Amino acid sequence: MIPSDHFPRFYNEVFKFLEAQGEEILEQYWLEISKNQERHTLELFQTKGLEGMYEYWEHIRIEENCDLDLELHEDRLELSMHKCPSLTKVMDNDAEPMARYCDHCAGWIGPIMDKVGYHLVYDVIDRTKPQCKMKVFKDAAAAKAAEADAKLLMGWPGRKA
Amino acid sequence: MSAEKPLRYNEDANVHLDFHGATNTTIDFIVRKFGVEALHEIFARVGRDVYRDLHDHLASGDPEELVRHWRHFFDREDAEYDIAVEGGNIVLTVRHCTAWHHVKKIAPSVSPHFCDQTSKTNEALAEGTPFAITTEITGPGSCRQIIRRVA
Repeated sequence: MIPSDHFPRFYNEVFKFLEAQGEEILEQYWLEISKNQERHTLELFQTKGLEGMYEYWEHIRIEENCDLDLELHEDRLELSMHKCPSLTKVMDNDAEPMARYCDHCAGWIGPIMDKVGYHLVYDVIDRTKPQCKMKVFKDAAAAKAAEADAKLLMGWPGRKA
Repeated sequence: MSAEKPLRYNEDANVHLDFHGATNTTIDFIVRKFGVEALHEIFARVGRDVYRDLHDHLASGDPEELVRHWRHFFDREDAEYDIAVEGGNIVLTVRHCTAWHHVKKIAPSVSPHFCDQTSKTNEALAEGTPFAITTEITGPGSCRQIIRRVA
């Protein structure tokens, strides 16, 4: 058993293998993970919208030991990650980190937001630091406006940054 | 008496078992797209590169660090297991693997290659060391992992 604690370091090895096969296969993998994550999120997001998203990431905050702030507004959800445990583990690793490790988050979250009709703005800020900002909007124009503030805006399969 | 040195990847916070579901999805994806040999290569990299510290302990003739690793992480995931010395071999008997049973609960099916993560990572950990580690699947979510000195 690879302990669940060590999943990010296994994930990192998978990303390096897939990146060597080409961008298209990496995106296919993110879509596969996205489908897997639908089991935990889709019904919640469809039925409760932003409140359901708050509920999901509050659960993740606790279970994955994230140092993050969550803010639920009437028109959006904002997540500010101060110390991402996943990237932190990948950097604290005897194997080499994949340079674009952070890209997978928007890679699986984006397709789910597209499916439920919300608009994701994912700012990784700097791929070498375990911090990021995620905003989810009800309104497409508000999301578009928020993209201007991003330092390193992420895209996802079907949506180039 | 000095305190025991922590494991290379010591953990003491909450456990997120749903990661095992993502591992199961990943295993099926890799096998479907690239075949089982590619999957085994990825697990070999985990054993060789990610767990370099465990590999180095084995290479220096010390299997106890791997035993500590097993206890730490099987305890964290509340698995049913025991570790015994039998005829000079170290035997880990897993009666209830938390990873396998969690995936059984949350996913449509457990990949037929799910336990390759254990057997192939173990093989890579032991490669080039005085030990061999074999993994026998004894039933759904149960196995025996045996560290044998071979040199």
